[in-house]
Amino acid sequence: MDRAESTARLLQVTRTLVFDADIPVTQCWKPLVIVAGVEEKFIERFGQDNIGNGELVQSYMTWEPENPVSLRTSVRAARESARVLRDVLSLESWEEVNELYHWLGGDEAQVLYRQNREQFYRRVRKSTQLVLGLVRSTMLHDTPMSLLWAGAMLERVGQTARILDMHPHTMTLESAHQIVEVALWLSLLRACSGYEAFMKKVQGRVSAQAVASFLVFDRRFPRSLRYCLLSAKQILLHIWPEADRPGPGHAPYARLDALTTWLDKQEATSNPSLIHALLTRVVDDSALICSDIGREILGPPQPEKAAPVPTASQTQSQSQTQSPSLEAVPLEGRRPPKADKPEQTGKAEVQ
Amino acid sequence: MGLPLLFDTYKPIAGTFDEMIDAEGTPRAHALRATKILDGLTPKEFAQAQSLAELSLYSQGVTFSVYSDQRGTEKIFPICLVPRVISGAEWNRVEKGLAQRIAALCAFLDDIYGPQKILTSGTVPADLILGAKFYLPKVRGIRPPGGVRIPIAGIDLIRSPDGVFRVLEDNLRTPSGVSYVVENRLVTKRIFQSAIEESSVRPVEQYPMHLAETLRAISPVDPAETRMVLLTPGSFNSAYFEHTFLARTMGVELVEPSDLFVDDDTVFVRTIRGPERVHVIYRRIDDAYLDPEFFLPDSLLGVPGLMRAYAAGTVALANAPGNGVADDKAVYPFVPDMIRYYLGEEAILAQVDTYVCTRPDDLKYVLENLSRLVVKAVDEAGGYGMLMGPQASAAEIEEFRKRIIAEPRRYIAQHRVELSTCPTWVPGAEKLAPRRVDLRPFILTQPSGSWVLPGGLTRVALVEGSYVVNSSQGGGSKDTWVQKDKSL
Repeated sequence: MDRAESTARLLQVTRTLVFDADIPVTQCWKPLVIVAGVEEKFIERFGQDNIGNGELVQSYMTWEPENPVSLRTSVRAARESARVLRDVLSLESWEEVNELYHWLGGDEAQVLYRQNREQFYRRVRKSTQLVLGLVRSTMLHDTPMSLLWAGAMLERVGQTARILDMHPHTMTLESAHQIVEVALWLSLLRACSGYEAFMKKVQGRVSAQAVASFLVFDRRFPRSLRYCLLSAKQILLHIWPEADRPGPGHAPYARLDALTTWLDKQEATSNPSLIHALLTRVVDDSALICSDIGREILGPPQPEKAAPVPTASQTQSQSQTQSPSLEAVPLEGRRPPKADKPEQTGKAEVQ
Repeated sequence: MGLPLLFDTYKPIAGTFDEMIDAEGTPRAHALRATKILDGLTPKEFAQAQSLAELSLYSQGVTFSVYSDQRGTEKIFPICLVPRVISGAEWNRVEKGLAQRIAALCAFLDDIYGPQKILTSGTVPADLILGAKFYLPKVRGIRPPGGVRIPIAGIDLIRSPDGVFRVLEDNLRTPSGVSYVVENRLVTKRIFQSAIEESSVRPVEQYPMHLAETLRAISPVDPAETRMVLLTPGSFNSAYFEHTFLARTMGVELVEPSDLFVDDDTVFVRTIRGPERVHVIYRRIDDAYLDPEFFLPDSLLGVPGLMRAYAAGTVALANAPGNGVADDKAVYPFVPDMIRYYLGEEAILAQVDTYVCTRPDDLKYVLENLSRLVVKAVDEAGGYGMLMGPQASAAEIEEFRKRIIAEPRRYIAQHRVELSTCPTWVPGAEKLAPRRVDLRPFILTQPSGSWVLPGGLTRVALVEGSYVVNSSQGGGSKDTWVQKDKSL
């Protein structure tokens, strides 16, 4: 596949789309703003009091052009990335991204948003899921798609981890609300599309421990941290069949391998009080793996562009935040590179 | 049988050739089938079909970006669903004329970058050629690998009131627009379904295959071993859609200059599994940005060493650097002389009479008749740097007078040709009205000869009374239907 910059954008498209698909429509607005990483911006703009204002939060998270993770901004970014990668994406995937973009910018979407919010969210989620499905079913299963999918997996790690990490915030900052713990966990599961899968597994025995362990360690749930990390590992071996030895592809592979091994050990000594630390490590390491992949494809970052510390969302070398904490991670890195910025890029294989 | 509903109120402009309807208001013989397709459609139904077509182009992202807009707004190239039809017999003649013209222009470029016999013979003034902005003295003596300097050409044709196709200008560097020809056909097919087959219209979808074949034919190595790439300036370029379109449909890599590098006079593309050799580059980048070593030492753009590799014969460039000297608008008047000089034939295609401002008599005439003439800068395209005398204000005319006197070599002038019209949908008025059109056929040339895409891009000036068809200036497009020639 692609120009180096392209790869970065490709990962970005996918990340954005995965994120969109996971927007939880819950009544807990504040965690939503926090998990999206825009708490500070939101408060600065609307004040502390408005953070529980559902309409305001929804409109901010859906339409706000200044919000880097609003639906509209994300879809616009995804669409611009897809436009640049037009020669790589299949026609069907591109059309779906493009149509969603135009629909979201038109009157029809505004009307649906006002009249039937639920349908509106469904439409967006369906489109984004469709894009991911189309990528798998219409693109050549070759390096470009592998890179795209590795990006999707690593992004999903970040998404699941952030959603799981909503819990400490809600408990410490919003304890006055007295939210029933079980209901909270279930809503987290729904946000990860894992409610039914979880129930099949535990047959009704819901506990914080069980949910956390499911979302972190389950080997068959496609959004668990372990599943995503193991998938990413397999994909890297597809791209670089000898990645397990020193040479091309070894750096990201080795880091990923160390992370999954470490995760195995954590399962044995599982301790809920350590969950935040565990999530932080997984997210930070995933970010490093992403930048390792980027470096394998693009070569070392150019000095003037290099950022000192990679973060969860790093796939391109400009514009990242350096915050190690989970909440602050997603923000800046989500912003796609400017289309008109000439990029120094390498070229990955296109069939 | 009466006229189709849509044509009820249609009247061609007096003194202008209409592509579909004759002066009496009846469809021309070759356009009869096409007008029947629209028969029975009410204006309302047609308007629906029209918006379907636009929506389809929009969803597919068949767009271009407009330079004057700093935010890089994307627009679809508006399409009018009423096709422009050309009879098979007439097209045969046009095809021959285009192939002849390209043969002469190729010979001219080989000569200019070689012995320059045509200059010593006095057929073309030497100072005009050697002083041309796009003449590249450094290229002289380099034999292009593959031997064809103009593998891809776009030659703009117009039709004058006497019904004669005339060449308006040549585009021998990086002509664009072919992606819209293919996309327009896809859209028209989707909406008029079997109508196109019934009208025995020659297909255009095979263009990318022919292009790939043409590029392979100029490869310095065995065609089967050839690795080709399409070189784009990047996603900010206004024709980026077309670059991705051609890369996708040919199945070749789309690369930017930084994806390529030169080692030991050989070009490589960076890939995830290491560098791989490149043999043919279809470049959609101007000469000046190809190679900083060769052209602009201060530029960071381009592939350093590319021209060394080209001179060493290890990589073919389509089109060859330096072609701009042959599509200079001041050189255009001499093309019939070139055809005579190199091929010993008379030109099949007519041209438009042109005043070259370096000739003292022509200059005098031009300055005396500015309000009646169309003045063009010889080195600009896209409808920029142009004075439409009959429509210009006194101030604009005076401005051009100054410019012409200052730099006569930069300007040519022509009488305004009453471009032919084609019935065109006018949104708002919800009816068909005559609008002016031109035609850009695409010619692919390999050592064994030329192939012409049947039809080409019909551009239409959507604004009433306008003569400017450029997409950057409010033009639209039409599907061009060349009928199969039954006599063949």
